[in-house]
Amino acid sequence: MHPSAYAHWSLSTARDLTLEAARDASNARKSTTRILPSGQLKKLLDSRAERDVLEGLRRVVTMSYRQPPSQTLPFFTAVIKNIASPSLPVKKLVYIYLLQHAEHEPDTALLSINTIQKSLTDQNPQLRALALRVMSGIRVPVISQIVSLGIKRGVGDMSPYVRRAAALAIPKCYSLDPNTEPQLLEYLSTLLGDKQYFVTGAAVAAFLEFCPDRMDLIHPHYRSLVRKLVDMDEWGQLATLRLMMVYSRRCFPRRTRKVKKAVASMGANNKSTRTTTKGFYDSDSESEKSEDQEEMEEVVTLDPDLELFLKACQPLLQSRNTAVVIAVARTYLYLGTPEYISTAIGPLISLLRSAQDLQHIVLYNIVQVCLSHPGRFVKYYTHFLVRSTDAPQIWRLKLELLTLIFPYTPPRLQSLILAELSHFSHSGSLDPGLVKEAVRAIGRCSQGSATSPKTSARCLRLLLAHIGSADAHLVAESLEVIRHLIQRDPNNHRTTVVRLAKHLDAATSPQARASIIWLVGEFAGVDPENNIAADVLRILAKGFADEAEPAKLQIMLLAAKVYIHHLNANPPPEIAKPAGPQPPSALLEGFQDEGGFRDPHFEPQSSHQIPESQAPERPHPIAALYQYILLLTRYDTSYDLRDRARVYKALLASPSSTQLASLLLLAPKPVPQTPSPSEIRKGYVLGSASLVVGDEGGVGGLRGYEDLPSWVKEGREPNPALRDEDGTLNEYVAGGNGGRILTASEKLDVASSSRAYEPSSSPGKKLNGFGAGTSRGTVGEKKEKTLDDWLAEEEEEEGSTEEETDDEEEEEEEEEEESEYETDDEESEESDDEGEAGRLMKQT
Amino acid sequence: MSAIEALYIFDEQNDPLLEHIYAGRPPPGSTVLPLYLAHPSPRPSLIYFSQTNPPTLLYSIVQDNLLFLSPSSTDTEPLQVLEFLHRVADVLEDFLGSPLLASRIESSYDTVAQLLSEMVDGGIIASTEPNALRDVVEAPSFMRNLLGGVGLPSSTPSLTPSATPFSLTSRPSPRLGPTPINTSSPVPWRRANVRHTSNEMYVDIVETLQIIIAPSGRPLSAISNGTIAFTAKVSGVPDLLLQLGCPGGVSSTISLPVFHPSVRLNRWKERPGELSFVPPDGRFVLAGYEVDLLGPAALDSFSSSTKSNAAPKLNIPATASIRTSLGPTGAEFEVRITLNPRFSGKSSSPLSSVTGPSFPRAGGLGRGLGGSGFGGTQGTTAAPVIEEMTVDIPLPATVKNVRDLRISRGPGDAVYSPGDRNIEWRINSREIGILMSTDRGAGTGATATLRGTVVGQEEEDAIDGGGPVSLTNDPYDYNDDQSLLSYQALSEISSKRDDTGIGNDKRIKQNKVLMPSCATVSFKVKGWLASGIKVEGLNVDQKRSKGLGSGITPYKGVKYLCVSRKGVESRC
Repeated sequence: MHPSAYAHWSLSTARDLTLEAARDASNARKSTTRILPSGQLKKLLDSRAERDVLEGLRRVVTMSYRQPPSQTLPFFTAVIKNIASPSLPVKKLVYIYLLQHAEHEPDTALLSINTIQKSLTDQNPQLRALALRVMSGIRVPVISQIVSLGIKRGVGDMSPYVRRAAALAIPKCYSLDPNTEPQLLEYLSTLLGDKQYFVTGAAVAAFLEFCPDRMDLIHPHYRSLVRKLVDMDEWGQLATLRLMMVYSRRCFPRRTRKVKKAVASMGANNKSTRTTTKGFYDSDSESEKSEDQEEMEEVVTLDPDLELFLKACQPLLQSRNTAVVIAVARTYLYLGTPEYISTAIGPLISLLRSAQDLQHIVLYNIVQVCLSHPGRFVKYYTHFLVRSTDAPQIWRLKLELLTLIFPYTPPRLQSLILAELSHFSHSGSLDPGLVKEAVRAIGRCSQGSATSPKTSARCLRLLLAHIGSADAHLVAESLEVIRHLIQRDPNNHRTTVVRLAKHLDAATSPQARASIIWLVGEFAGVDPENNIAADVLRILAKGFADEAEPAKLQIMLLAAKVYIHHLNANPPPEIAKPAGPQPPSALLEGFQDEGGFRDPHFEPQSSHQIPESQAPERPHPIAALYQYILLLTRYDTSYDLRDRARVYKALLASPSSTQLASLLLLAPKPVPQTPSPSEIRKGYVLGSASLVVGDEGGVGGLRGYEDLPSWVKEGREPNPALRDEDGTLNEYVAGGNGGRILTASEKLDVASSSRAYEPSSSPGKKLNGFGAGTSRGTVGEKKEKTLDDWLAEEEEEEGSTEEETDDEEEEEEEEEEESEYETDDEESEESDDEGEAGRLMKQT
Repeated sequence: MSAIEALYIFDEQNDPLLEHIYAGRPPPGSTVLPLYLAHPSPRPSLIYFSQTNPPTLLYSIVQDNLLFLSPSSTDTEPLQVLEFLHRVADVLEDFLGSPLLASRIESSYDTVAQLLSEMVDGGIIASTEPNALRDVVEAPSFMRNLLGGVGLPSSTPSLTPSATPFSLTSRPSPRLGPTPINTSSPVPWRRANVRHTSNEMYVDIVETLQIIIAPSGRPLSAISNGTIAFTAKVSGVPDLLLQLGCPGGVSSTISLPVFHPSVRLNRWKERPGELSFVPPDGRFVLAGYEVDLLGPAALDSFSSSTKSNAAPKLNIPATASIRTSLGPTGAEFEVRITLNPRFSGKSSSPLSSVTGPSFPRAGGLGRGLGGSGFGGTQGTTAAPVIEEMTVDIPLPATVKNVRDLRISRGPGDAVYSPGDRNIEWRINSREIGILMSTDRGAGTGATATLRGTVVGQEEEDAIDGGGPVSLTNDPYDYNDDQSLLSYQALSEISSKRDDTGIGNDKRIKQNKVLMPSCATVSFKVKGWLASGIKVEGLNVDQKRSKGLGSGITPYKGVKYLCVSRKGVESRC
């Protein structure tokens, strides 16, 4: 450091410090956003001093975030000029500006391509990666070939960062120019086989973006991808899980077989002749044994490769990323056996600890899993209890979960859940919506097919207790649910109706009274010998004038229903008389034949009959009641009521012709269905946005929603031999670079391969145990190691005397590498490992 | 199919702070924001707008009063986007300082721009590890201002940290910008070449209580959510071993753990309670877990045969109980809080400090490792103290006012203004201390009581408009005695006049709708954990660590904190 320069800095620091202090003190955000006039800004950008340029760039970047591009576009040339600056910070800011604005000025942007291309060969891997990213990010189609070349270069780069940038550039290049596809596929195939987990993660993400249907590219890398899964970063894991989901459905046919207890192991033996490893089958048959309780059972047999994947997912269940956990649960739900999904339940519940915004989405997913496996959630019931701080969207889902697990819980817990629900349905709860949902939830609890009659009765009691409440929401909703319950099973609920009628005295809300009266009317025809409907009508008739309109309407209806039942039960004697009109049945037929026109002479005739028949004796009390109500309604203030009264009057004008009236009044009502609210989302795939949005996003999901592919048919699947990994050698040659380039990590692999396979290190014991190390000959035997293995072995390497690998081929490659190392041996500690570099130095 | 199309950040006034487009042509923030605000609050984190073209999914999170939005035109995994937004917020906080303020973002747009472009590449999330980002993006600091525009040519990598003539200790590993060469660290979550002048490690275990107590006093659920936050300021690549201990055994206590990717899962499976890991540099969340304080047998205790005897015993610092429908018209309620005498603390009451260690759990609670790492001056593990207690009483929407709100016993102040949806009763730490000291020897704990009377809509109307006792409308009924009485008394009289017994019953029934249904208690206890978990050891594995000079033992500190954020809920 030159002393004078140092002095200069400290001076400027002092200034900056005071500036910052002033900024903080004034607390005014305006001061930070002060904008220089464009002339001054241009001057800064054109300045020779890097400091000024950097300051100018900072201001431009700030402007670009705060203002429309039209404001920052005038500086385009001034900014781009600095792209050749040797300073990294300047370069970075120029790149950021370029990415934002290149589209607006494609021609000028092209001028910068040359410089960026030069940066691709820079010694600093970070700069190389950056250059590649920027080049592919400039949306100017003309340069697609240059970008493609850049990617090619990047694919062969030594630094994993550059290779990752290359992977991410592939979909961008494709969208620039689809003609580059064949080359890009080649690059991608190489990258998918990369030894660095964070390169492969990016490669998989690029694959999903670029060519999600080219499953043939995946086959050779399937096992290595599965093994790397644990070590990838969370986003790479997500991409890989999504890919494997589709891949597995397309490549592993669902095999089920009937298993007898004794034959189980034999079946496994048969299978194992087919391919590879033995280890899977052992565990497979064990699980089968535990499974089958009956003589013959359908058991899903998993392909060993699929099982490899499912097992590799296991550690991810402890991930801190909620999306990863959901993705694993999805994998298990749609690919695995029930044993697998049960291991995912706990981790799913643990996601409820996350922030409220995540919790909401997580709950949707839990509900989805719960719909198919409710029993497994029972022991986590405490997590579903609604708290007073829960937002509506959260308690709604929690209540649903409680009702879903309800049928599977032990009786004691059932009463706890019911108590919980009734607590929220009680008056005084905070939210009318919550009251409503809680009451509905009680209804769902009592409907479940597995619910015992005793519990159902208890639910009903809870609901009936609400009728007298002062909370109108509660009463209305309770009656709604009671009505549903009664309608679903009318025969067992006769007494309930009676009980409801008794509650008429207590019920004050007009809506509540109206629904009770309606229910009484519905049941007026059941068990005519001791039906209460007529009595209820008699009592209601007394207080008719004091009722509210909804209740009056229902009383009117009840009167009509009771009357028609009366008429049906005791047909008026006039029917028999020949003097009367045609027999009712004929009349009705005629009515239908004539297309809905009533007989014109029918009405006056029938109206004559009533006084005739009633004149001699006192009318039957029911008829009298009906007439009384009709009379009352005739002078009611509500025209709706008066109109309806007229309709009924006309309908029931002739006591002898009740068919039409019966058709209208006594029509059987459809049984209401109240499935769990999330039932409608059941078709959506776990973890998708469509699952959360539901059918609101359009039937069949949102744009871009992909349904699960169905299992490939037996016999149509690709040859499992494609997944064999003897191609390890070829993979890298296939990269098309002629000379094979070894990644640093690969070299490390080679270096330690002799040690890695010492008998002591059994693969099963390794962390995250890939119990499935395929033992094949020669190079394929190199086992990939997890991160922890690296850490564990690095010190070993340093400590122990260097062992030479006896593999001729590898040595050759290392020779090749040396030259590269010499050129930039200042870089000394390349990518992965210091020890590695040190070893190479010794060799030379 | 791109995961992330754009990121918009708005400040607390919903002014746009930042717009960053990653892929495609997403609707601009100015279009999306009004739609978002139009959605009734509380707004879900994923909203679907069918009216935009194309129809848009909008993901949102709010952190530190800043609103983060990300629109998406296709079906993406919602949690992926939301997790990403959280990571963005975390990373910005890590780089710009906590709490994340709008002004902080505004003053360092260049850093933010670099971060955002590093984190997502072409819509695909590339890297969100703060440590990895520190390798490529330079944090804004005094250093940056100090060095101003002087960058070094990227092709001369001579300036390694060791060559830096001055190194500040204020920020972790100050360097002259990202070291251009050694960008790749063997551990993806750890920065390369970490150097600290003083090596320190801190463990903070924070447990958040989630307890629901039934009206009978029986706990329905009692869950303690624990988070182990770790701060590592250790040079080189240390390999650490953190051992947790717990009276009942770790494996039976801790359930559903979640780990930072650095934790070796096999080690945990083989020996529960042992966390072996290579930490990232700086502060991070090492693990999360939960503890069911009721134990697995809680479900069995719901059998009717073993009624109250088997009720699980809970040891919580403070609980509330609430009684409603008191008074002649049933319009009054009473909230009583009970403080556990254990938490009186040494400083406030010498008597209770004797009782402190007598509790088996408290006595054994972990001592600070290698020195006093405890930040709190009041709460210590030996005598934990309750701090900052608040009781919240949410009210139904129909309640228009609360009258006669008074603390009939005990300290604190209750805050309510007409129209509010809840009553807040705050008791500060000093007042708790005084309250605690009133309870001497009784051993049952101190109590405090709050009373109030709710007023609903109809009642207010009834009093104000018409009726035989209305003061304003009916001058003939004016009565001197009555005018002195409060409205409350008036309403009582009015109801008595109507028809004494039946009227009251009806009133009570009506007032029942207005009653609060629960009370929640919030507090903080330093130095105590509900689960009883403690740190038994934190060691650097010297053999496996690298870069840390031999013989250097980092300074270690442990902190325990138990909080309840409206977490202890008592129903009635």
